[in-house]
Amino acid sequence: MHTHHAYRVWNCCLSLKYGLMGLLAEEPLHGYEVKTRFEAMLGGTWEVNIGQVYTTLQRLERDGLVRPVGPRGDRGKLLYEVSEEGRRVLAEWMDQPDSGPQELREDIYVKLLLAARLANGDLAPLLSRQKRAYLQRLRDLNRLEERARRDGRSDLARLVRGALLHTEADIKWIDELSETAISGESE
Amino acid sequence: MSELVRLTEITKVYQGGVTGALNGVSLTVEEGEFTAVMGPSGSGKTTLLNLVAGLDRPTSGSVTVAGSDLGPLGETALARFRRDHIGFVFQFFHLLPNLTVLENVLIPAQLKSRVSSEAAGRELLAQLGIAELADRYPAKLSGGQQQRVSIARALINRPTLLLADEPTGALDTRSGDEVMELLRQLHRQGKTVLLVTHDAKLATRYAARVVSVMDGRIVDDARLETADREASDVIKVRGEETR
Ligand SMILES: Nc1ncnc2c1ncn2[C@@H]1O[C@H](COP(=O)(O)OP(=O)(O)OP(=O)(O)O)[C@@H](O)[C@H]1O
Ligand SMILES: [Mg+2]
Repeated sequence: MHTHHAYRVWNCCLSLKYGLMGLLAEEPLHGYEVKTRFEAMLGGTWEVNIGQVYTTLQRLERDGLVRPVGPRGDRGKLLYEVSEEGRRVLAEWMDQPDSGPQELREDIYVKLLLAARLANGDLAPLLSRQKRAYLQRLRDLNRLEERARRDGRSDLARLVRGALLHTEADIKWIDELSETAISGESE
Repeated sequence: MSELVRLTEITKVYQGGVTGALNGVSLTVEEGEFTAVMGPSGSGKTTLLNLVAGLDRPTSGSVTVAGSDLGPLGETALARFRRDHIGFVFQFFHLLPNLTVLENVLIPAQLKSRVSSEAAGRELLAQLGIAELADRYPAKLSGGQQQRVSIARALINRPTLLLADEPTGALDTRSGDEVMELLRQLHRQGKTVLLVTHDAKLATRYAARVVSVMDGRIVDDARLETADREASDVIKVRGEETR
């Protein structure tokens, strides 16, 4: 039975769970190897805590999705592989499109709503500051994408490209709000 | 760095225009800067670029480029100013169809010695990777090739300032990127570049300064940092973790 808390922990790191399984499906690995391989795959965009990797592996083992290869010795030396059931569950996850709600994590959404409630609230400075931050992010992402390409990491470049296009959309949104904020002044 | 362009309180009202195309624009550009000008359609970007290029005159305010105040200059002096200081790249290339590539490149060089400018033209085409196109006609070239020709034409007089108005607007992504890489190289060789674009990705990739224009006014002027950040400081996949 899941407590609310346990469910959240498991759910927060679904892609960690399946990411580790996916790497173990390629070949059996130790806990530490699977951690470094996972981080390398993500090109440093996700740093995982080793304790969390062990916890995840233990849960996967408990659920029969991975199993240790060879004798059970020191935890750090234990080699894990994916079970048949694990491969089936992994394939099912891979086939599933991501269809949850759109996640809007940044504070700007709440700031914007609060600012709009103020009498005579002027959104322009808020929008302008946010736009600058997005432009800087876009520049940083551009450099990261170029670096990934130079390093021959076209997989990582694809990930960065996704982030770039999201940030571009954020800028379009800010621009749209700015235009209505300015034309709204004369109402 | 020294100042190359200074616009002071510029307004521009076109004949028959109800509102101004530019309404009090002040802007300075330092030598060696790569600046992007962004803004919605009709916000005044092309107007701004044309005034800097001396292709048009402001209704009020002053334009100073490379130390010359353009206001008092007559048409001949203005043409000489353009020839000596400005390279202009247009969205739709503006090549003359009945001239060869090399002849197009040499248009702005007319007044100089024929032989030396022809050699310079060929060398420029070679630098831009299109030496073999010298004797062909523009209509037979791809958009990307035509834009390279127009860049060669913009560079033939070794201008101080390169103005590019949506230079990738008529190109597919790949030729657009190639053209932008050329502009980047030219900037690294010391050219000052003023680029008009709708594309924020492109602007921030090449320009460390982004000027935003809206309704004929500059609404923001952002100087961006150029830093090699750790991937984890730029992207975070899947947010925070629980321990
Ligand atoms: N030659 C002209 N005569 C009259 N009005 C003009 C002329 N050129 C531009 N305008 C007007 O001046 C305003 C600014 O035009 P401008 O071409 O500078 O905009 P822009 O930002 O370059 O737009 P776009 O992104 O569509 O190229 C617009 O309202 C436009 O209609
Ligand atoms: Mg224009």
